[in-house]
Amino acid sequence: MSTDRLYTRRDVPFELVEIDLEDASDSDLMELSRESGTALSLEEIKRIRDFFKQKGRRPTDVEFQSLGQAWSEHCCYKSSKIYLKQYIFGINTRQVIDRGDAGVMEFDKDHAYALRIESHNHPSAVEPYGGAATGIGGIIRDVLCMGAQPIALVDPLFFGPLDYPFEKLPAGIKHPKYLFGGIVAGIRDYGNRVGIPTVSGGVWFDESYVGNCLVNVGCVGIGEKKNLRKNAVRGPGDVLVLVGGRTGRDGIHGVTFASAVLTKESETESRGAVQLGDPIMKEPVIHALLEANEKGYVNGMKDLGGGGLSCVVGEIALAGGCGAEVDLSKVPLKEEGLAPWEIWVSESQERMMLSVSPKNVDEVLHVFRLWDVPATPIGKVTPEKSVRLFFHGEKVFDLELEFLTAGPEYCRPCSAERTGSKKKEKTPQIKAKYDKELMKLLGSANVCNKEWVIRQYDHEVRANTVIKPLQGKLGHSSHGDAAVIKPVEDSFRGLAITTASNPFAVGIDPYRGGKTCVDEMCRNLVSVGARPHSFTNCLNFGNPEKPDRLWLFREAVRGMGEVAKALNLPSPSGNVSFYNEAPSGAVLPTPSLLGCGIVRDIRKCVTSDLKKEGNAIALIGATGPEMGASQYYRITKSHSSRIPDVDIPALKAGMEVVLGGIERSAIVSCHDISDGGLAVALAEMCIGGDFGAEVDVSKMEKLRSDVRLFSEANSRWLVELKRGKEKQLPKDRKTKVVRLGTVGGHSLKIGAGKKLVDSDIDKLAESFNSTLWRLVG
Amino acid sequence: MKASQVKVCVLRIEGTNCEEESFAAFKRLGTKPEKVHLKQLTGADVSHEEKRDLSDYQILVLPGGFSAGDYVRAGAIFAARMKSKLSKDLIEFIRARKPVIGICNGFQILVETGLLPAMSGVMSEVPEAVLGTNDSGRFECRPTLLRKVNRDSCVFTAKISPDKVSLIPSAHAEGKLMFPLDRSKKIVRELEDNDQIVFKYVDPEGNLAVYPWCPNGSTDNIAGICNREGNVFGLMPHPERVFFRFTHPDWTRAPDGPGDGRAVFESVLEYVTKRL
Repeated sequence: MSTDRLYTRRDVPFELVEIDLEDASDSDLMELSRESGTALSLEEIKRIRDFFKQKGRRPTDVEFQSLGQAWSEHCCYKSSKIYLKQYIFGINTRQVIDRGDAGVMEFDKDHAYALRIESHNHPSAVEPYGGAATGIGGIIRDVLCMGAQPIALVDPLFFGPLDYPFEKLPAGIKHPKYLFGGIVAGIRDYGNRVGIPTVSGGVWFDESYVGNCLVNVGCVGIGEKKNLRKNAVRGPGDVLVLVGGRTGRDGIHGVTFASAVLTKESETESRGAVQLGDPIMKEPVIHALLEANEKGYVNGMKDLGGGGLSCVVGEIALAGGCGAEVDLSKVPLKEEGLAPWEIWVSESQERMMLSVSPKNVDEVLHVFRLWDVPATPIGKVTPEKSVRLFFHGEKVFDLELEFLTAGPEYCRPCSAERTGSKKKEKTPQIKAKYDKELMKLLGSANVCNKEWVIRQYDHEVRANTVIKPLQGKLGHSSHGDAAVIKPVEDSFRGLAITTASNPFAVGIDPYRGGKTCVDEMCRNLVSVGARPHSFTNCLNFGNPEKPDRLWLFREAVRGMGEVAKALNLPSPSGNVSFYNEAPSGAVLPTPSLLGCGIVRDIRKCVTSDLKKEGNAIALIGATGPEMGASQYYRITKSHSSRIPDVDIPALKAGMEVVLGGIERSAIVSCHDISDGGLAVALAEMCIGGDFGAEVDVSKMEKLRSDVRLFSEANSRWLVELKRGKEKQLPKDRKTKVVRLGTVGGHSLKIGAGKKLVDSDIDKLAESFNSTLWRLVG
Repeated sequence: MKASQVKVCVLRIEGTNCEEESFAAFKRLGTKPEKVHLKQLTGADVSHEEKRDLSDYQILVLPGGFSAGDYVRAGAIFAARMKSKLSKDLIEFIRARKPVIGICNGFQILVETGLLPAMSGVMSEVPEAVLGTNDSGRFECRPTLLRKVNRDSCVFTAKISPDKVSLIPSAHAEGKLMFPLDRSKKIVRELEDNDQIVFKYVDPEGNLAVYPWCPNGSTDNIAGICNREGNVFGLMPHPERVFFRFTHPDWTRAPDGPGDGRAVFESVLEYVTKRL
């Protein structure tokens, strides 16, 4: 069926089309949505039709495209907002300084930090290297446009198994190993070139990610409070200055691509939706922008992300209570011949919009010229709340902002409970010794040392990374729980940064899984001596138009919100990524969290590696038989739907015990217990410190030996106590402290009356360290 | 000359990204560092107030990073821009025995410019060495240990005792120092004779060792070299990243004392304050 008859070309020397919606049938309208790549629903197009009918004219293609961008799931969160408002947005808003492209929180009296995490899933699945790289670029801009200097990057990544059989790969899907290599390289080459350290992250593997890998990228920045800016114009008369890269045909329909399910045709159809990054344009943009801002020349700024100009112009103007007039022919282009609608919606990278008072425009242009970064005034701010666009003198767009930005908000149908049959419980066999299981866990892809990835990222550039992602004696590295940045020159105050996610738990029980993610994030921060302060989240889920998928989303958000609220932890920014599905099904529901904590004095921080022979080792927190979603059940192919819950008073008490112990220098190393349980956590501490340990777990709760060793029950830490300072560890009756044993020797010995584990540290290290190298081959 | 009078030029172009920490190291020692864009020295696109003259500075720093993206070859674009517009000033600066340090990308730039190893004269016409791709084929960020092998020529290491092993971390993809293969041995011998080799990669016992202790496969484990006069110094590892103890990778195991990189900056400052 053709919709050609609905288009009327306007008589101008460039491509400009008016669309006749009034005479179109419903099927015409749907065809129009598909053909234009806007992914608008019938209901939404009808709203547009009625609007223009009232105005008595037909929309131009520029206007139609613009509405498609503004109303996409990616831009207006039409399916998720209702739940985020209900469970997350309201938490401790008093402490939130700003909620713009990135959230802003107080760091100290004079400084604030900005944080944000978002997904770059679909572009990375189609073009791993470029997709991941531009993901980094985008998140840096989000932080930058708050007036903050980016100081740290984090990247949680989720892939199918690296040894996935080629013959099982669905059509049009790239092999996990190819995606993994390309994405790590993309992050490496962009992050390293732009000079921002990558300090935290994670790599998770599961079959559900084969068809749709997840690439989440987070950024944290720091700025003086006086340099913070709103993503808003100051008022009418402000000049809109577009800075950074030129505009081209790359990245057209990025947001609508992100708001639909991947198919086997995505590769060929949507390659053009993937933007092209240029870190050596971004790096000087950071310098020039911060310099112009510090000098007071910038009234407000905003990043050009999803939707490009079409989103940024309306949003930055409306946020200042104004409208704007833009001349699209002034926009510097990569190539000639772009139609006005293409310029308007292109998502070409490395671009930002500044709102500048007329008297400062020349100064701004001068700063950017020194860095050879294009900066062009393209329009001005107007008092009435509408946007008007001109292209070579012709008016091509005239819309009220209230209509443009009033994207729909849905309360989509959501299941009341889990649908489908429950998986049967299966418990592993009891064994006399567990050395083999421990070895297997340490060598499993989800647990093993990620050094292969971490060392490809510069995690020390800017020389402020005081606690690094890899910790331990020289030559013996193991994972830390959080990194710590010392962002202010003359202050020992630190900002701890961590990543937390547990898709396995969320997949089995989204509510408890959501709680678990927040618990893990807090454990990680506390482990280095930081008090959790705020978090941001990237919520990667399937198609929200399916009620069972939306239920998973709602339950996970409810769980996260419950723990965050109890701890008074605000979430000043966030991102939702729906439609993470391929024909083979949806990905595991995957919230990934970026948590920030405050360290009063970085000189008190601790790492996870054991420090000294003879020191005591203790377990903080209670252990229960909650084996669902554990890595131990995963490797023994067992199943339980009982996943760890969070006892909030116990979590709070545990946090205070650990923080107090670190503050009093009683704790000299600390590791949270997560993937693989106590045995794996202790093995990692041994590997990092190149020490053995001898512990007795019989004073733990009365449980099966394998549960004691491998349970991933929440709110637990292992700590090494300095000799003679054991009594300094604070006590709290709401949590347990069990003295387990001591540091020493070169084997990990775990017993409970009889020996359960007795393994040489070098052998454990070999298993832990070699896996990823072997898998990437 | 007092430390507070010492002006340090921290030179940058797009993609230079270790200027903040290089600047901070010199500032901490009480000198007057300044971040200067190459265009401020060459005079393009800058106002009268922004224009700078290299001869007004006592120390020149080429910081690490990915200048111009390292897209042709690491450091090549920065070197070409410098060589075409600034050769005369640079040669004068070096002839005046003023110190120049290139760290990581800065080292690559010095080699590409012909300012190192500078076996004969101040600046060679074409590069006499290259910093090639690491044997691992990858960018790697890891702690490295350097043994000082320089006898007494280098003004950046005078305060480091002979054979002392310092922890100075590396982060690069192209750090394998190589010379023309047919003359490599002879050149290394000549560098030794001239006392131009400054640091070598070693293991915790101080012995020359292979990967990962030598992160790139560099000829004879060489991590840093200087010119014959000892006032131009280039190294791949980053002393500015370990100016303080608390940025050492394992500082929580031994938290006391200064960072191992601090001595590099103190050495050159002592040289400048005594000599100039």
